[in-house]
Amino acid sequence: MKNGFHVFLAAFVALGISWLGFVLGSILQLGVEGQATVLQSSDLYPVQRPGAATMGLQVYRAEGCAACHTEQIRQEGVACDVVLTAMGNNPAAVKKAVAGLGAQISDATNALPKTVLSRVSKAGADAATASISSAGGTAEIHIVATGPDIARGWGVRGSVARDYLWDDPVQLGNLRAGPDLANVGARLGNVTWQLLHLYAPQSVVKGSAMPPFRFLFRVEKIGGAPSPDALQLPKPFAPAPGYEVVPTRDARNLAAYLVSLHADVPLFEAPFTPEVSTK
Amino acid sequence: MNPTSPESQTGATNAASCRVPFLALFGGGALWLVVGLTLAILASLTFHKPDIFANCAWLTYGRLQPAANDAIVYGFCVPAALGVILWIFCQLSESELLLPLLPIVGANLWHLGVFVGLIEILIGGSTGFPSLEFQRGGSVLLFAAFLLIAISAFATFGARRRRELHPSHWFLLAALFWFPWIYSTANLFLMAWPVRGVCQAVVDWWFCANFLFVWTALAGIGVGLFYLFGGPNDEEATGPDDNQRFLTLFSFWTLILFGAWCGIPQGAPVPAWLPALSAVGAALTILPILTIASVALRAVRTRGAAPCRGGPRCSILFGTAFFVISGIMFVALGCPHIGPVIELTWFAFAQTQLQILGFLTIVLCGAICALMPRVMGFDLVFPRLARVRHWLFISGIVLFAGALAVGGILQGLKLQSLAPFATVTASVLPFYRVSTTGLLFLWLGALLFALNIFGMTLKWKLARLHSCLAWLRAPEETIAAADTAAAAGNGRAK
Amino acid sequence: MSGNHSSNPSSCRPPANRSGAPTWMLVLTLILGYLGGVYFDHHSGWFSPAVYSPYSSSTELAAYQPKSGAQAMAARGHLLYGQICAACHSDDGMGKPGQAPPLAGSEWVNEKGFHRVAEIPQIGLTGSIPVKGQPWNSTMPPMGAGLSDADLAAVVTYVRSAWGNHAPPVTASDIKSVRSTVAGHPAISGAAGLKAIAE
Repeated sequence: MKNGFHVFLAAFVALGISWLGFVLGSILQLGVEGQATVLQSSDLYPVQRPGAATMGLQVYRAEGCAACHTEQIRQEGVACDVVLTAMGNNPAAVKKAVAGLGAQISDATNALPKTVLSRVSKAGADAATASISSAGGTAEIHIVATGPDIARGWGVRGSVARDYLWDDPVQLGNLRAGPDLANVGARLGNVTWQLLHLYAPQSVVKGSAMPPFRFLFRVEKIGGAPSPDALQLPKPFAPAPGYEVVPTRDARNLAAYLVSLHADVPLFEAPFTPEVSTK
Repeated sequence: MNPTSPESQTGATNAASCRVPFLALFGGGALWLVVGLTLAILASLTFHKPDIFANCAWLTYGRLQPAANDAIVYGFCVPAALGVILWIFCQLSESELLLPLLPIVGANLWHLGVFVGLIEILIGGSTGFPSLEFQRGGSVLLFAAFLLIAISAFATFGARRRRELHPSHWFLLAALFWFPWIYSTANLFLMAWPVRGVCQAVVDWWFCANFLFVWTALAGIGVGLFYLFGGPNDEEATGPDDNQRFLTLFSFWTLILFGAWCGIPQGAPVPAWLPALSAVGAALTILPILTIASVALRAVRTRGAAPCRGGPRCSILFGTAFFVISGIMFVALGCPHIGPVIELTWFAFAQTQLQILGFLTIVLCGAICALMPRVMGFDLVFPRLARVRHWLFISGIVLFAGALAVGGILQGLKLQSLAPFATVTASVLPFYRVSTTGLLFLWLGALLFALNIFGMTLKWKLARLHSCLAWLRAPEETIAAADTAAAAGNGRAK
Repeated sequence: MSGNHSSNPSSCRPPANRSGAPTWMLVLTLILGYLGGVYFDHHSGWFSPAVYSPYSSSTELAAYQPKSGAQAMAARGHLLYGQICAACHSDDGMGKPGQAPPLAGSEWVNEKGFHRVAEIPQIGLTGSIPVKGQPWNSTMPPMGAGLSDADLAAVVTYVRSAWGNHAPPVTASDIKSVRSTVAGHPAISGAAGLKAIAE
């Protein structure tokens, strides 16, 4: 390289193509994304967060929660469950087909639907469904997202770009000193629990390493009547008698934001079969 | 600038032109390094005793940690690198520093920008984007200041006598060009006209890889090559032979071509082509890293491994070794299969810290301690402390980044194995304790570095005051004495 | 890249020859470039905006989409039933004493026509009705009023085909027509009200 201009040109070209690819490319492709229909439903996703939750995101940003928490579920793979939904006209043949897959099934009518194969490949699931339907039964394939994050119960599928459509700033985080929060509203969806956890993490999670955010709360002398918002804290964490802990607006907004974190619907780009609650 | 005058005389004049800008750049930088490491130590206390700052909003971990990081990166690394770039351009151009007012103004604007940005983070006004936490005010100041200093650097570069470029020219010129582009892109797309949704994260990842890896590598390797190959006035300089020149050129091209494509984590919530492209970029980034390692090894072999006494060459060899380690860690983070295990753990944090504090800071501190005596015309105030500082930095970064890297791998494996989350956190804690010890070493080293810089500033100010008083009494004699002193100082520095 | 330097004539030194480049470096560059290309080909989904890891192509993603048609509708109906109806009518469709009558084997559910069973979730039901030979006097709120036509069709179809029920499926357009006729009506009042609806 002969002179400064050549160096400039080299750097310009090298950085320019990466700029075109990553910055412009992603903005052109992902920037136009909008709401999408949830799979097998007419619901739109994602819906805008409620007002308090949108303000809570700003508290999340200001306190730097993303320094320790991520909001991204990593999906490692995808597997299939085969679920027998109807025996059809020839239960004996279906039973034989199911037995051939290594599962047993009882005669009771409400035994269905029953999972006869779990965590198999798509090809395996297709073959099993075919063998059941050729015996006259009906079977469904349930899509299951797999990976350590999902096994931990942090989420039900990998996070996709659409999950963050309404968030500004997007707080993906880059360190898991604490658990992932992408779907925390679905597993810990109680505002009171979240407030207790923010004020005194150890009062609800034994051995928690999270720092308490007491500065988001006010310890006040109880006036005429106790405040309806005051936290009901267990003994070692409770304030002195005659005092009560009242969450500030910031704390309530932050809790509302945490509760609003739901990434648990199937989308075209992240398909899975939602678990049906069986109580 | 008179070609007939003795060379030492010219050298002293050239060096003297850098005094005020360098004191502004390095003095503020040293201060921010101490501030940044203090904030980092305060932040790390939260992990040892979670409720230590529970009642104090501005000392919460989520504010302290980004503030510490930004104080070190923006407060120290960038201005110190700019100062050293100015010095190297002066040396390679055999010229004085041109437009010296610009770096003086630039340095003050820069430090003001860092101050404003840090205060905003601590009062809860961070932007929430990793490594770009400064709000508009701070970032506009930083951008303007960088341009001012870069203009002076380009002017000095243009005044060079030999047309042929030194290998460190390539790296440093590219670094001067790289930062304004990535910094303006990131700030425009994140703050001025914020892009939607996850694009924000993509822009931030792009910036982080291009700044914390590519820019730091360009600056640090550029400085390192100058001291490895030697400048035009260096009697011992062997200069690069053809082979080394080729290897350096190859590493330069591969670094800017492939390094710029890194940074999108594997498994990120973006369409698969982004992480896939980034994985290819990361795998190819191993090329510049191995090439730099082989250039450094050759340089050591040709000039012989002199005992390490904390001189610039010694700092640069240690710094290059840390760069190679950090680079391999960086590539591992970007690789499929390995990356997803370690990337959301302390390992990624350790990689960034090793790159900034292990590689760039050590290279820059070594260079600054070598160049300041020549600029100021007198030796370091505490030359012994500079050596102690060198070893404190080395041991500190090994403890700090090493412990976190090992802890991070463990954390990643445990997260994969579905161990209960409390166990995962608990298993990292012993490593974290070691890392805080390393931070204390680094903090002490930064303190010694700042002592030397401030000592020199004070000594220079006192000498100036003294000569002013003397001049008031006997103007003629003082000028003659000053000339002799400058010549003597220059000789000693060599 | 190397040509850039070897073609440099201004250098006072002889131009760098190819021996300047160690063989290992060139071989490694080629191998990494090749592997990178293969990796990108297999894992990038070729710039598709819908392909996310762990899927590697839009074909693979399409294979994992739920089957459309009856099966998908049954799955959706099953899901919504679990979320909305099962609290009272229970998961096995047997109802809960004192709360809600059984749906499994219910004569109202198994009617060939869908109008009655489609109206109940839309406007609700009060008063006493006989189910499987027993009088049930409880109130059903319009639980399905907020569902879309497709979702309500899926739930009704699921209820009419699960637990041994055998009534024909209901489509979204069926629900739409029912919805337009009942708009603004009060809750159905007892067996008489229910019978007043054409089957």
